[in-house]
Amino acid sequence: MLVKDYMTRHPIMISPETDASEAQNIMTENNIRHLPVVGDGKRLLGLITREKLHVPPSDLGSLNVWEISRLLSDLKVKGMMVKGKDLITTEGDITIEDAAKIMLEEKIGCLPVLEDGVVGGIITDTDMLAHLAHLMGATVQGVRVTIRMPDKVGESAKVTDVIASHGWGIYGGGGHDAPKQPGYWDAVLKIQGGDKEEVVAALEQIEGQEIIDVR
Amino acid sequence: MKAKTKKKSRLQKFWDSVSLILASRVATVGSIMVLFWLVLAFISLFWTPYDYNASDFLQNLGPNPQNWLGTDHLGRDIFSRLMKGTQVVLLKTRLPGEGNIIIPGGVAIWGVIGSMALGVTMGLNAGYRGGWWDQVIMQILDALIAFPRIVLYLVVIAALGQGDLVVILAISITGAPGVARLARSLAMDIKTRDYIRAAETRGESVWYIMFKEILPNASGPLLVDGMLRVGYAIFAIGTLGFLGIGLPPPDPDWGNMVNEARRNIFSNQLAVIWPALAIATLVIGLNLFADGLREEMTRYQK
Amino acid sequence: MNNLKKAPPVLILEDVAVAYKIRGGEIEAVQNVSFEINRGETHGIVGESGCGKSTVAWAVLNFLGANGYVKRGSIKFQGQELVGVTGEELRRLRGDQIAMVYQDPMQALNPSMRLGDQMSEVLTVHRDMDKKEAEKRCIEMLERVYMPDAANVMNRYPHQISGGQQQRVVIATALLNNPALLIMDEPTTALDVTVEAVVLDLIADLRREFDTAIMYITHNLGVVARVSTRVGVMYAGEMVERGTVEDIYKDPQHPYTQGLMRCVPKLGADKASSILYPIRGRVPPPNNRPVGCVFSPRCDYVREICHNKRPELLEFSSGVSVRCHFAGEIEADKWSPSDDILPPEIITDTSPREPILKLDNLKKYYEVQGSSLKDILGLGEQRYVKAVENADFDLPRGTTLGVVGESGCGKSTLIKTIIGLEQTTEGHAEFMEIDITDEISTRGEDVIKELQMVFQNPDSTMNPSYTVGQQIGRPMKRFSTVPKDEIRGEVIKLLESMRLGENYYDRLPRQLSGGEKQRVGIARALASHPNLVLCDEPVSALDVSVQAALLNLLLELQQEYDTTMMFIAHDLSVVRFFSDQVAVMYLGQIMEIGPANAIYAPPYHPYSEALLSAVPIPDPSAEQKHIRLEGTVPSAINPPDGCRFHTRCPRRELLPDGGAICETEMPPWRETAEGHRIFCHIPLETLNTFDPVITQKPEGSNHVS
Ligand SMILES: Nc1ncnc2c1ncn2[C@@H]1O[C@H](COP(=O)(O)OP(=O)(O)O)[C@@H](O)[C@H]1O
Ligand code: SF4
Ligand code: SF4
Ligand SMILES: [Mg+2]
Repeated sequence: MLVKDYMTRHPIMISPETDASEAQNIMTENNIRHLPVVGDGKRLLGLITREKLHVPPSDLGSLNVWEISRLLSDLKVKGMMVKGKDLITTEGDITIEDAAKIMLEEKIGCLPVLEDGVVGGIITDTDMLAHLAHLMGATVQGVRVTIRMPDKVGESAKVTDVIASHGWGIYGGGGHDAPKQPGYWDAVLKIQGGDKEEVVAALEQIEGQEIIDVR
Repeated sequence: MKAKTKKKSRLQKFWDSVSLILASRVATVGSIMVLFWLVLAFISLFWTPYDYNASDFLQNLGPNPQNWLGTDHLGRDIFSRLMKGTQVVLLKTRLPGEGNIIIPGGVAIWGVIGSMALGVTMGLNAGYRGGWWDQVIMQILDALIAFPRIVLYLVVIAALGQGDLVVILAISITGAPGVARLARSLAMDIKTRDYIRAAETRGESVWYIMFKEILPNASGPLLVDGMLRVGYAIFAIGTLGFLGIGLPPPDPDWGNMVNEARRNIFSNQLAVIWPALAIATLVIGLNLFADGLREEMTRYQK
Repeated sequence: MNNLKKAPPVLILEDVAVAYKIRGGEIEAVQNVSFEINRGETHGIVGESGCGKSTVAWAVLNFLGANGYVKRGSIKFQGQELVGVTGEELRRLRGDQIAMVYQDPMQALNPSMRLGDQMSEVLTVHRDMDKKEAEKRCIEMLERVYMPDAANVMNRYPHQISGGQQQRVVIATALLNNPALLIMDEPTTALDVTVEAVVLDLIADLRREFDTAIMYITHNLGVVARVSTRVGVMYAGEMVERGTVEDIYKDPQHPYTQGLMRCVPKLGADKASSILYPIRGRVPPPNNRPVGCVFSPRCDYVREICHNKRPELLEFSSGVSVRCHFAGEIEADKWSPSDDILPPEIITDTSPREPILKLDNLKKYYEVQGSSLKDILGLGEQRYVKAVENADFDLPRGTTLGVVGESGCGKSTLIKTIIGLEQTTEGHAEFMEIDITDEISTRGEDVIKELQMVFQNPDSTMNPSYTVGQQIGRPMKRFSTVPKDEIRGEVIKLLESMRLGENYYDRLPRQLSGGEKQRVGIARALASHPNLVLCDEPVSALDVSVQAALLNLLLELQQEYDTTMMFIAHDLSVVRFFSDQVAVMYLGQIMEIGPANAIYAPPYHPYSEALLSAVPIPDPSAEQKHIRLEGTVPSAINPPDGCRFHTRCPRRELLPDGGAICETEMPPWRETAEGHRIFCHIPLETLNTFDPVITQKPEGSNHVS
């Protein structure tokens, strides 16, 4: 699960000479929020986001309507994009969770991904959410159970053993420290093969574990 | 109903060719230049302003209301002589012997027909049969080409004496290698087509294949080439006339006119210009016409 | 797995119309075409020639030439409008993000430049990459497209590698920039099936790996089925149907698509699946399209409204869109062929008849002229192209022998030698008990007229200078089979049996379509009522809907005149229905020969097996064995010793020592009871155990994990 497998390849890109209004249009029409700005040969020069395109109202306060519209039509992406050391990028070979960490730390919603020094794709918070949904099995049918278990080695093996012994399959899932319950661990599993009652009946047999949610 | 559509299509065909010419500005200009001389030639058959061989006027006059282009060193009307001179080039050939037998078609035309006939026969044989035939024919042609043209003319004329037929022969022989090369390359291309295989599998004779199957499809480029060659031939006749070994009198010969006027160039500069201009316009006209036609024809095919 | 991410499509065409200005007006080559292509998707565009497929591609690239322009509609690439944008701006928009691969790889390669230089230029010029690095990258890319010996190929010139390899270089070059959109216009049409199969696998791999959006243009329904996810069917400048490959092939909605599916050979298990039903008529030229529905003159379901009103694009919930007034109402399986397109019934008369043609170890070698000084002086060893080796079979009267094999395997040479266009090198041929070993000039007229040929290329099969009537009449005149004053009547009779009316008599070849020219070619061959007709790929250059009609016609005529036929084809599907016997050739050698049905079922010769598994089948539900031949066909100048197929044979392993014997010894002919002969060292018992190449996929196996 590396960034290069989950990023969007061939993102829509623009040149630094593009008008801001044009960039705005492209974003609206294609329902996207980030546009890498590239020069010849797809070399990354900067990144433009919807926020960056907003002209601060204070700048406009003193101008009349005509001046504002002129100002707006003169603006080029070149002058408004994120660039230089503010521009944070990544390589395709890092893990998806490392990319998530970078985005959280920098409080940004998008990472251009460089391959051989040119833009190979971008990964955004939307991609991350989609990835989360996939991980949890949002796209497949099945029984979703949340099991609370002691935070000890061997506990999750008990669960998988039971599932395997019934010939069911795990189609997604994840785990997390149980909220406000130190020493416990919540595991979520998407199980296919049995119906709700069967799954609950089987998992209830496990000692020391508790089913806290089924749906 | 059927007959009607057919008739229309013939008219259509004619109009198609005309519009083909008109489509190219080059061909249009060329054809106007050629038509100009053709019309003059026809008119001269019945009428020239004055007798072309009579010294009716003062010598070496410049252009004036009576003699539009002036007169030459013998006091003959240059315009009448130019008009008459077109005939031998484009319209008639005088056969030797008693009785002044004249056949239609000028010396330039027959010369080109001669070189086409000779060249096409050699070229088709070389191109279609290939191998040994090709080798031998190409050797002969290379040898011919290696001779300077003028020398070839001189050889032919020295051997056979002066006369329209001799000039025709000279033009035919010197023109044949070029035609042959073109015909050969066309034949080599066309012989790879499947319809030639079909003829071979019918057991058709070599001559049938060369002249009935290949030649009709090579005729387009060959005709254009022929047109260009009429230009060269006129030029050649001019050259021969200039050297004094061209078409025999009494008809005026443009080349000879240049030559004679050259001798009097200090008393009448313009006299040398007119026949030279006549040769040039006719040759250039033919060239433009052929070029434009070729261009338009290849575009048409696409 | 359905994807939650919704990236905008790479390419969106909306209602695009493209017009070419011509003398005295303009023609709309393409009308109302809309579709989009997503990342990682191959969108097939399929249709017969002249339907406007390439024009669509050129419109995207703005390569419409001086006289073409996008008249209406919008083309959006990466969210940005391309129509109306020119020059520098356009170059910037497309950047290095669109690449194109053509049918002829040489169109994209510079013949006088080393391949390595051409490829690395892409990187050094645009990206300022240094030369060393660029070369390294190129070699990696060549390896990705499975180019054998990639580093070495970099140093060669285009003409020093094979056509399939050239196409791989072009694809590799196109991918160097990692384009968002790759447009491929008939990229495998010029390649042999076995090479094509490899290139198609490659395209599918690359799409997945690079997430490239691919627009794949082809006339071949089988190829589309193999490579694309979605497909648009074009007819006369319009996209008449569009949907996923599965939907379109399983349940075509538009009458044209339905017709197309019925006229391509399916190569399924039973012979009935290879019956072809042509579509009557032909594609209208762009300046003469019918008002109303463009398909109306050829449609079986046409009604009043179709002639007056252009159908709108109807969209179904499945995502399939169809341009037909009655889309959804027409049921393809209720269709039955009308009489005029019904294929003739095959009379299977099994009583053995006497052979009309006997070949006895026929060989044809061409001398090759070397170019070294030694060769020119005649001191070098004389070398030969061994074009046909030991052809040995009998052809019973009134039957058809199909000959299949890839280009250059000697099919055409074989029939040219038989007909006498080439001199036999060794061996013996006998036709109607007359020796025909020597060239045509040595043969008598009675033999010549009994042995005629039909050619491949419709554009060169007829002499452009003569009318149809003159050309068909010529053999009658030459062989005096018909009195002079009856020739016209006889020609017209023949024309009518070719389904061409009397009004064709005075037409010139340039007034005919490809299919009509081929019909005239056949009529000319039949004019002298020959006993044996040799057909050299008579339908390969034709569109599928026309091809089917011609095949049925040939079959009918053969039965009517009791003609014997040899029929060459390069893919196995075409000859199936048509032939009584099939011979498979490889590198001049007949590898397998036998009754048609036997060839398509085990036991297979290993080469026939590979050939069958390479043929693209227009049926996504068919399962095909995946056998790909490695390397290229060796040169016929120095064919491999022993079995000529040993350098590429995937089945040698079945023999002891990995088939060492195949490299040294000529294989024996293995013969089954039904007269099916296989030229291979592997014993019949083993060959019999091979699985059939083509099977039907079991229903409903779409499950994950
Ligand atoms: N440059 C051009 N000028 C005029 N007509 C053209 C030109 N190029 C293509 N056409 C016509 O447009 C139609 C569509 O052609 P094309 O796109 O090449 O079809 P396809 O690729 O499906 O075979 C054809 O009828 C063709 O003759
Ligand atoms: S609209 Fe009419 S003519 Fe056109 S395809 Fe549909 S049924 Fe046939
Ligand atoms: S003889 Fe050997 S190499 Fe040839 S086809 Fe048979 S197994 Fe393959
Ligand atoms: Mg095309």
